[in-house]
Amino acid sequence: MLAASGLVKHYGGVAALDAAGITVERGEVHALVGENGAGKSTLVKIISGTVRPDGGTIELDGRTVQFANARQAADHGIAIVSQELMTFGDLTVLENLFPFGGPGRLGLVSTRAMERLAAPVLAELGLRVSPHARVETLSLADQQLLEICRALLQDPRVLILDEPTSALPREAADRLTETTRRLARRGLAVLYISHFLEEVLRVAQRVSVLRDGRTVLAGEEISAVSVDSLVTAMLGDTGPAPAARRERAVLGGSSLSLTGVGVPGRLREVSLTAAGGEIVGLAGLQGAGHLAVLDAVCGRARPAAGSVRLPGGTVPRSPRQAVAAGVAYVSGDRKGRGLMLDQSLWENATAVRRLGLGRDGFVPSRRRLVQRTERLVHRLRIRGGPYDIAARLSGGNQQKAVLAKWLDADPAVIALDDPTRGVDVGARTEMHEIVRDLACDGKIILIASTDLTELVDVCDRVLVFQRGRITDEIVGEALSEQALSLAMNAGFAAPS
Amino acid sequence: MPPAVTDSAGEYRGGAEAPGRPLYRRFARDEVGVIAVLVVFVAGVGFFHPEFLHSGNLLSITHNTVYVGLMACGIVFPLAMREVDLSVGGMYAMCMVVGAVLIRDGLGTWVALIAMLALSALLGAVNGAVTTYMRLPSFIVTLATAMLFRGAGLALADGKQITDLPQSDSFFTVLGGNVAGVPTAVWVFVIMVAALTVLFTRTRFGARVRAIGSNREAAEFSGLPVAWTRIAALSLSGLMAGVAAVFSLAFFMAGDPTVGQGYELTAIAGAIIGGTPLAGGRGSVVGAAVGCLILSAVASALAFFQVPINWTTFATGGVILVAVAADTLLRRIRDPRPAGG
Repeated sequence: MLAASGLVKHYGGVAALDAAGITVERGEVHALVGENGAGKSTLVKIISGTVRPDGGTIELDGRTVQFANARQAADHGIAIVSQELMTFGDLTVLENLFPFGGPGRLGLVSTRAMERLAAPVLAELGLRVSPHARVETLSLADQQLLEICRALLQDPRVLILDEPTSALPREAADRLTETTRRLARRGLAVLYISHFLEEVLRVAQRVSVLRDGRTVLAGEEISAVSVDSLVTAMLGDTGPAPAARRERAVLGGSSLSLTGVGVPGRLREVSLTAAGGEIVGLAGLQGAGHLAVLDAVCGRARPAAGSVRLPGGTVPRSPRQAVAAGVAYVSGDRKGRGLMLDQSLWENATAVRRLGLGRDGFVPSRRRLVQRTERLVHRLRIRGGPYDIAARLSGGNQQKAVLAKWLDADPAVIALDDPTRGVDVGARTEMHEIVRDLACDGKIILIASTDLTELVDVCDRVLVFQRGRITDEIVGEALSEQALSLAMNAGFAAPS
Repeated sequence: MPPAVTDSAGEYRGGAEAPGRPLYRRFARDEVGVIAVLVVFVAGVGFFHPEFLHSGNLLSITHNTVYVGLMACGIVFPLAMREVDLSVGGMYAMCMVVGAVLIRDGLGTWVALIAMLALSALLGAVNGAVTTYMRLPSFIVTLATAMLFRGAGLALADGKQITDLPQSDSFFTVLGGNVAGVPTAVWVFVIMVAALTVLFTRTRFGARVRAIGSNREAAEFSGLPVAWTRIAALSLSGLMAGVAAVFSLAFFMAGDPTVGQGYELTAIAGAIIGGTPLAGGRGSVVGAAVGCLILSAVASALAFFQVPINWTTFATGGVILVAVAADTLLRRIRDPRPAGG
């Protein structure tokens, strides 16, 4: 049915795809898995026509095809339901199902014709909602189904589902995988991308694995693989064991603690403590709850149950209180949550102490602020001067600038969220070095990352989250990418 | 402080060029353009009509600018934090009426002055509080309060001017008079421009306003008091309308509930011409004042060229469009890289 082979795609000298391929047959669910950055999304974008490959071929039913844009791919019967919800919340179900106007005459859309077309598809997916309901009143799971309905109304031959269950609660996810299998039995070719390996084993007949832009496992029968063997294929030969961890005294004294914390829909009865000098990793698949812990510590998620205690006894109820109590939040989303891009480095680097805490007085001395920035520039080895505009710095230096503004406020707790996202290797290593130094200095460090190597490299221990709970803790020598990946995927697939 | 990364040879010395970083560039970036436009325009008109340059005419242009100019300087604060205040025109008229009524009914003039300023600051803060706690856009809140304020003024004055005021009182003779041959209002305008410039560029409050306008999410994460800053900024912009009302009342010696129609839009236009983008994060109080002067100068020049008075509004629209387009164009030439690269 669909056969892509030898696909190559470079982004400015970096190979996102390098000889990747996949074959999906009619009537099967074919899963595609791989680590973050393995090239899954690039492959999907090429097949669905939004990205043009630098090389390689795509065949449909034996005929070579080329897509100039997404519309052409759709005309060839390729429909995609992407990771992010693309519904229009203010419009009705029907209007969402026919985004290009739908059936009708003389430019007028016939509601009755739309209903007639939509009814069987809605019924097939078990979506019991009024066709005139506003979409924002639907549950997330129903909106996801709605997107699949929209794709099915194009009468596709190939259906691509990109992480369809990542935002869904357990039951809805199970129902969706069941529906997916049914659609395949009806003769559709389904390409199913997922992080959830157990789910992949249940839904797919065959599986392919991408690693560093290459297909390392091509269309293996699902009965011939296991979570273990998939993890091994995704990570490859992980090489020698990480260098011995630096000895660091874990200081007693004031610590950060969560006791029985529950955040509706995100965390359930999570308890943990982190002491000064410790680097604690938080790992989990998307939506597992590890990021909710950071939000709770930073005062952004108010627990409905249990309590969060910062060192010194403060209970953070708002970001402002958390900052005042010495919590730093270093986000990998440096442009969104980190920097004022149009302002200079000194204005950014002193923002927390000067503007958040207001500790530099009502009329701060600019000279002193610049001097302080110079010290931070030196300490963190930022390639840039105090007067450089933040937007002009490279990604790595922007990330260091985010760290700088928090270190300027001398925090007790440092929460890092994917702190080296999209940063070059050199800056990444430097950031890790700095984080270790901060721990030596007695700071409490929490770090969440989508990059498992990062967690293995810097953490003393990693807490693994699933469905809002801590399900595992991996400490010291036992810490490896393999162990983390297995723990993140373990056991949430009681066979149904 | 931890030792962090150890030094090594060939380390980058961040900010090597920093100490010499000239102040003029920072200044040049924002205000010199508008000031140059004003000077060139005034000189150009003066070339054809030398009497345009007579100090009396220039002073009268400035005096005409004062009221809307004060509001423009205040409105820079909400604009720089991506808020807007459409209520300043209504606030101005209502405060004038309130002041006139208080004075007419026998309250001391200086007490009435304090009352006008307090009322404007308070109602500005109410704009901010409603915006914050009802989670509404300031555009909508101040659109509504603009009408509330103007309506209150109209009702209070019964739709008529309030005139029978003690015209020999020092309030009218000093604040409505001249100091060293220049209207007191102009002196106060200059002082307010200077004070608000310092407030905007040098103080923690001004920096918070700009930080929130530049990246509100980052500001929240950094623990900035976003709600409080918004209330303060809108209170300040209300207060400036109150200051304008005080000097307007002192000069005209009457409380007129219909004055200042559309002043809020002229004030916003002046601020934008002066380099305060609606996108927030930046702004210039001096620029806003100069922007309003340009608008007044253009209106005055039209009279010298004997353009019928009814074309003034048309010309003002043209000036705004040309000024903003030119500014964007120059910025693109000077800074071809889009922000965020």
